[in-house]
Amino acid sequence: METPESNAQLLSDCPPYVKFAKLDELLALGRANSLWPLTFGLACCAIEMMAAGASRFDISRFGAEVFRPSPRQADLMIVAGTVNKKMAAAVKTLYDQMPEPKWVIAMGNCAISGGPFVFPGQYAVVEGVDKLFPVDVFIPGCPPRPEALIEGLLKLEEKLTGKRRWPTVKPE
Amino acid sequence: MITKEAIISNGAPSETFTLNLGPQHPATHGVLRVKMTMDGEYIVRAEPVCGYIHRMQEKMGENRTYAQFLPNTSRIDYLSAMIYTHGFVGAVERALKLQVPPRAEYIRVITSEMNRISSHLVWWGAFLLDLGGFTPLLYAFDDREKILDLLESITGSRLTYSYFRIGGVYNDIDDSFIKGTRAFVAQMRPRLKMYRALVTDNIILRKRLIDIGPISKEMCRRYGATGPVIRGSGVPYDVRRVEPYSVYSEFDFVIPTFPETDSMARYLVRMEEMAQSLRIIEQGLDKLPAGPVMAEKVPRVLKLPAGDYCYAVEAARGRFAVRIVSDGKEIPYRVKLRTPSLSNLSLFEEASAGMLLPDALALMGSLDLVIPDIDR
Amino acid sequence: MTTSSEPQPKADSALPSSPPAVPASSAAPAPQAAAAAGLQSSVTSKPTAVPASPPPNPLAHLPLPFKGVDYAAKGYHCEATVSPDQVVAVAEALDKEGLSLDTITGVDWMAEGQMEVVYDYFHPAKALRVVVRTHIPRDNPEIATIHKVFPGANWHERETHDFFGIRFLGHPNLTPFLLPEDADFHPLRKDYAP
Repeated sequence: METPESNAQLLSDCPPYVKFAKLDELLALGRANSLWPLTFGLACCAIEMMAAGASRFDISRFGAEVFRPSPRQADLMIVAGTVNKKMAAAVKTLYDQMPEPKWVIAMGNCAISGGPFVFPGQYAVVEGVDKLFPVDVFIPGCPPRPEALIEGLLKLEEKLTGKRRWPTVKPE
Repeated sequence: MITKEAIISNGAPSETFTLNLGPQHPATHGVLRVKMTMDGEYIVRAEPVCGYIHRMQEKMGENRTYAQFLPNTSRIDYLSAMIYTHGFVGAVERALKLQVPPRAEYIRVITSEMNRISSHLVWWGAFLLDLGGFTPLLYAFDDREKILDLLESITGSRLTYSYFRIGGVYNDIDDSFIKGTRAFVAQMRPRLKMYRALVTDNIILRKRLIDIGPISKEMCRRYGATGPVIRGSGVPYDVRRVEPYSVYSEFDFVIPTFPETDSMARYLVRMEEMAQSLRIIEQGLDKLPAGPVMAEKVPRVLKLPAGDYCYAVEAARGRFAVRIVSDGKEIPYRVKLRTPSLSNLSLFEEASAGMLLPDALALMGSLDLVIPDIDR
Repeated sequence: MTTSSEPQPKADSALPSSPPAVPASSAAPAPQAAAAAGLQSSVTSKPTAVPASPPPNPLAHLPLPFKGVDYAAKGYHCEATVSPDQVVAVAEALDKEGLSLDTITGVDWMAEGQMEVVYDYFHPAKALRVVVRTHIPRDNPEIATIHKVFPGANWHERETHDFFGIRFLGHPNLTPFLLPEDADFHPLRKDYAP
């Protein structure tokens, strides 16, 4: 007898047997080239994120200039800044509100591990946003340069499509 | 004009609902939450809730030596990071009675004023983004990149500089910096003229800001508001003029003051301040003395004599003061940071009562808040 | 729309343009020297050196225990140590003088069993920076609120309560300000351990 549970079980057993091949790749290419970030600048890294969106560094070249204020319309959350214990519940709610597929970039040392605000006896900072939800790309820096944010975006695209958009420039 | 009384007298029901603005919202202020009790579009009571970016700066002051606390000062208000470091470093130098060499003082003034311009540019772009215009943000960030290039060439950092050190600055400026800064000043003046024509004289901006959000000077005094907030209410209070520090007393500049007390006055104060900062930078480059940039005989281990010491500077947002309480050890006993955004925001509840929501947001934007400055 | 951008005259003539040299011994009073109760004027110099001339007291006309301080050495112009029940009267007197509230904070002197509440004031028109201190017992830290005189004190007192647990009697809303709403700890106390 067909039940929702048995259908779900069937679908989850499918992937090794049923792949969509070119459509998957096409979908991944589409998603990678039009990541819509959530406006989620918390602290200093937010200014470098804004600078990356401005005219000199221009993440619009990569399709990511449409910063959405609502999490329901965004598929990328760039956590730029320190996450507080008071703010942690709100961040988790925002992450839950984003529809699948969604990705998270932890930008800056504070989002990676609490940054310069970790000391013995600290009471307010969440030591890394990956304690709250899974993170796809970590961008170190305090704050990271806009070029570093763009590199993180390219790494995320590589994670989605399997191919890097531009080859890495080797230092001479 | 549509007034609340007109609406109510026309028979509309009067009941309130609660609207939560933030802590995540499209306005680019940062993590501020405002619990608004609304009567339709009118605000009955707007209560700011802070603490969402509290990063324990004052507690870290009791855990770090004086030199280790320096990077923290840049991150309190990251847009005027240089000036905040100046406040802390000045307090330590005052306590140790260190003589900072004159070249270092002039470099401090020049870089602080460049920082002030870059902070005002971010405010200007973000304020207009709040009001609905996206273009000025791109122009502002373009100009700002030029300043950041210059500052990066001497400090190594774009946003959170730790350039001022206890006793001076750690890196001297070179000819390419001086040439580049003069070129920047020369090209910034026509840009400010363009901003006046493009934005300040724009009829939409004028209708959004003139007569919106009046803050009397008595309210400023009672809440301790400083910076462009009090200068837009007719009081020419600027720490650089009233309690001169560093070498500001040797510079010739005007304190822009506008008596109208509305959001447009505060807007014009900041636009004028950018022009005045350009004047200060030029004078600084002209008068720059030769010499060392670091004091001699700065002790390796800094121990301040017991007691408390204060130092106040004029940051881009207002008066920033540091009070260090020392008990003679190499770690401060207490570091108190008096930040301008906290005092400036504390009057928002009283000032915004009865306003329309978009007008209240224009008022909040004209206060120029950086939330980590409030939460520390 | 008129614009008025006039240059501001220099520092107030009530203060000398170059403060006289004050030896280091007349620095700020050590907290141990001030008791919690009774009108106190701050303990000044220990008699190791004779000061050239004491710094002038710009608030000498007030019937309050202010004394002048060397601005170049300390960063403020005058200070007073008062008892906790006088802070409101002092705030009212300074309000009449036209001063503005800079900040309110606390210092936890755990070794002496006291907490010091420090009120900073500044004048918006002339160079006048005033510090008012008071000491309250550490195990029962209570003091009257000055928010009726300076509404800006509302947030400063909430923050001081957050960090030190000092209760401001008469405060309309002494809930956590920077800490989470359900916080029950006071992190800047010296015996705080998370």
